[in-house]
Amino acid sequence: MSGLHAISTLGRFQRWRRAKDTSARYLIGFFGVAVVGALTLMFVYLLSETLPMFLGAEIEERTQYNAPGGADTGTIHLAVNRHRELAVRLTEDRRAIFFRPDSGDIVEEQTLPIPEDARVTSFTAAEPRTRLVAIGLNNGQVLAIEYEYNERFTPEGRAYDPGLVYPLGDESSSLLDVDGDGQPIEVVGIQRGSSGVRVAAATADGRLRLVNFEERTSMMTGEVEVRRSAHDLPSLPDGATASRILLDITGRNMLVGDNQGRLHFYDISNPRNAQRVDTQRVIHGEDAEVTSLEYLLGTVSVIVGGSDGSVAQYMLVRDDDNVNRITRVREFPRHAAAVTNIQPEYIRKGFATADASGALAVHYPTSQRTLVQHQVGDTPLHRVYMDPRNRLLVAIDTDETWTLHRLSNPHPEVSLHVLWQKVWYEGRSEGDYVWQSSSATDEFEPKFSLVPLTLGTVKAAFYAMLFATPLAIMGAIYSAYFMSSRMRSLTKPSIELMEALPTVILGFLAGLWLAPYIESNLPAVASILVLMPVMMLVVAFVWTRLLPDGVRRVIPAGWEAAVLIPVVILVGWFSASMSPLIEVWLFNGDARQWLTDAGYTYDQRNALVIGIAMGFAVIPTIYSISEDAVFNVPKHLTQGSLALGATPWQTVVRVVLLTASPGIFSAVMIGFGRAVGETMIVLMATGNSPVVNFNIFEGMRTLSANIAVEMPETAVGGTHYRILFLAALVLFALTFLVNTVAEIVRQRLRNKYSSL
Amino acid sequence: MSDTQTHAVNVAQNNQAPRGLSLDREDICLTAEDLKLFYGEDQALKGIDIRIPKNRITAFIGPSGCGKSTFLRCFNRMNDLIDAARIEGTIRLDGEDIYDKNVDIPELRRRVGMVFQKPNPFPKSIYENVAYGLRLQGVKNRRKLDEVVEKSLKRAALWDEVKDRLHENAFGLSGGQQQRLVIARAIAIDPEVLLLDEPCSALDPLATLKIEELMIELKKDYTLVIVTHNMQQAARVSDYTAFMYMGELIEYADTDTLFTSPAKKQTEDYITGRFG
Repeated sequence: MSGLHAISTLGRFQRWRRAKDTSARYLIGFFGVAVVGALTLMFVYLLSETLPMFLGAEIEERTQYNAPGGADTGTIHLAVNRHRELAVRLTEDRRAIFFRPDSGDIVEEQTLPIPEDARVTSFTAAEPRTRLVAIGLNNGQVLAIEYEYNERFTPEGRAYDPGLVYPLGDESSSLLDVDGDGQPIEVVGIQRGSSGVRVAAATADGRLRLVNFEERTSMMTGEVEVRRSAHDLPSLPDGATASRILLDITGRNMLVGDNQGRLHFYDISNPRNAQRVDTQRVIHGEDAEVTSLEYLLGTVSVIVGGSDGSVAQYMLVRDDDNVNRITRVREFPRHAAAVTNIQPEYIRKGFATADASGALAVHYPTSQRTLVQHQVGDTPLHRVYMDPRNRLLVAIDTDETWTLHRLSNPHPEVSLHVLWQKVWYEGRSEGDYVWQSSSATDEFEPKFSLVPLTLGTVKAAFYAMLFATPLAIMGAIYSAYFMSSRMRSLTKPSIELMEALPTVILGFLAGLWLAPYIESNLPAVASILVLMPVMMLVVAFVWTRLLPDGVRRVIPAGWEAAVLIPVVILVGWFSASMSPLIEVWLFNGDARQWLTDAGYTYDQRNALVIGIAMGFAVIPTIYSISEDAVFNVPKHLTQGSLALGATPWQTVVRVVLLTASPGIFSAVMIGFGRAVGETMIVLMATGNSPVVNFNIFEGMRTLSANIAVEMPETAVGGTHYRILFLAALVLFALTFLVNTVAEIVRQRLRNKYSSL
Repeated sequence: MSDTQTHAVNVAQNNQAPRGLSLDREDICLTAEDLKLFYGEDQALKGIDIRIPKNRITAFIGPSGCGKSTFLRCFNRMNDLIDAARIEGTIRLDGEDIYDKNVDIPELRRRVGMVFQKPNPFPKSIYENVAYGLRLQGVKNRRKLDEVVEKSLKRAALWDEVKDRLHENAFGLSGGQQQRLVIARAIAIDPEVLLLDEPCSALDPLATLKIEELMIELKKDYTLVIVTHNMQQAARVSDYTAFMYMGELIEYADTDTLFTSPAKKQTEDYITGRFG
């Protein structure tokens, strides 16, 4: 009975034991796989958020119809409203036709206030979002007019009351006598700037005229007074005739393309004394002509399309003599035939081009990407238009057949080139690495270089490691190898406790107390750096060599480090109180000013502050792991070394460090990984300026801080938003790389030096 | 130096020299006089006097915890590494007090080499292990190092087994080879005394045999002091044997005498296996 009972309990016990073992195995396996799975998911998610940026644009033909209002008259302008529900077509026969772009059904038709006997000879549009256009006539007059959609909300949805408005007062004052001689206006340019509207024109006999409508608000009455002034500009050289005139929004610059492939720059900031400053050949080859010329958003840079199919971006760049010169910035893939039209985007810096072979393309200058290349038909294209949100692209051929395309081009600003290489941005004299994701103006060109951020991350981590590594490793060696076990049992937990300090407190202290303190006490910091090690060595020497045994025995063996505590305090106090004297004595009373005069930029929140503050944060990590590594070097090895007549120092250098090297290496790499990913300290104490340098006295912006700063202000799904995800991915990859390399090196070291 | 088999007058009442042997001053390598060692409050060695003859193998035997390893470590001051250890009495190496405060401990340890229970090669190549002691002395000359490494490995009867892989990691060697490597490392710096703390306890019988042969070979040039648990080993290799019990030196005589006709009851009990 008892035997049976024993067997049955044994069996039950064994079953229970086996069940526990099996479930533990599956559970552990599950959690192991789950960790890997979570990491993979994180990676996949980050990738899925960033990948759309690198996919190109898509174009799809939607409908094709004949020009609303008749194909027998030419289109001089077309614009679509932002909901793509209403469009306006201006025709050569003086009509403004409002229609629905999806069907071509006419909603409203108005006649432009052009005299019956006049003929349209030229046309131009100001920046697309201003809806301001100018039409040149053969009688020397120019009509400046704005179209309006007048969007309204009704219970049924959106409704429109489209119409025309006269930007220069009433109907009659909008018809300008630009040329008193009544010469046909061959080319016209118009722009609205902050000071008013400017119109420039080239007449059939080759003269250039500029008319200014300066708006002045009366201080007394608040009435707006428009003052008109007309000026003659110097003619083009070599008898060239103008093919295009562009005016910028500042009212200072005018660009003229001519029939000889050249671009001319006029400085019209003082219209009475306007001058042609620069002329550059932009299209090469015989019979080369500038066939189209258009400002991009913000009217800073200009796209030149040539009769040879070339497309290139130019802008004004100041040369060494501080004179603006027309400078080629970049080119785009060449069209097979002459570029007939360029359409800039409304709210971005991109543009579309059309050519005489029936092909169109969509480009983006900053990223130098050509996102769409599409053959519409065999008939030469005459015009290409886009809606304000870059979703609809209308190509009009010379037969006035309209082809409407649906365009999807959400992220043209990003390419690997933009992220990692020097990019020549508008308004700059050369390519550079810049991170500037947003600005107050709409015409702003976003600058998405990850180089300053990545470099900032590495810089912050580098200075933190520079400060932390020697202190932590030396401290680890001392406490593991030389310190008495009681002192070690006090020291080690204290340092490890530092790790629990919230980094937000460290960052707060670093940014608000340490940074100003260092700024006003630079000599103190420098003298502590020099004096501290020197004084420690001196005290150590005096203690061990010069003092009599009796005094030395006051401190028990292994507690000698305690002697240094007053030394540290004294040196710190001495340096701090001597700082003003040193400043007066060596740096004319202000070390910061002295640095600035010597040509070093000094930011209050700089890499020095970060080195100390973030060093503080990583010291416990490095210290704790390397202390364990040193402490775990088997005693039989150190004893073996000592027994061979090695001094303790020789033993440390030749045996202990060698054997502990895998552990110390991991400690350093884990510390580095922490410094790379650290956010709060760098957020609060770096100044967050995305500079590209390694100057210890300048700040930086790190990937992590950048994400924290900018994520709240991005539009979900936008390019900026996705770029921040990319920054996260880079950070992820960086830590992954560091850890992988660390692990490989550690394994190799362990195979080589481990004694276990 | 007298023949070990010569039975002379029993010199000392206090067990200084092995029973049955008279020693001239020149024949004595190490002496301990009234050596006491305390671990904090506990006294581990209770006043030991001993003279250890030159170019002989002296074995310390005794039950676990009798203080024989502790005693051995007094000869190269390895006990200094233990914070709580405190020593009274004198130990002389060739007449010099090694606990004098002017003694250079690294130099003392160079002269008194030590081999531990567990083979402890450094995580370096075989060559670097043997050259370690010389490098500590600042020897950089490659030829000198090569020469000493070869000589030491030959003396340790390891040369033929490792000459083709001198620059491979020492951890690739077997336990017995590692222990011989450690001996080669110890004799590379030309010590006078070699202290062996149970050198064979971690080895198999064949490796043990090799080490024992090596010890007999080495006593031509060095004074060997061995601590062993293994009485057969003491009987096989040593010339003199000291039996320790509870921190005291009970009996010290030439090996044959001690094992065949012990003078003390405790010795007899121990060697006949009644305790220990």
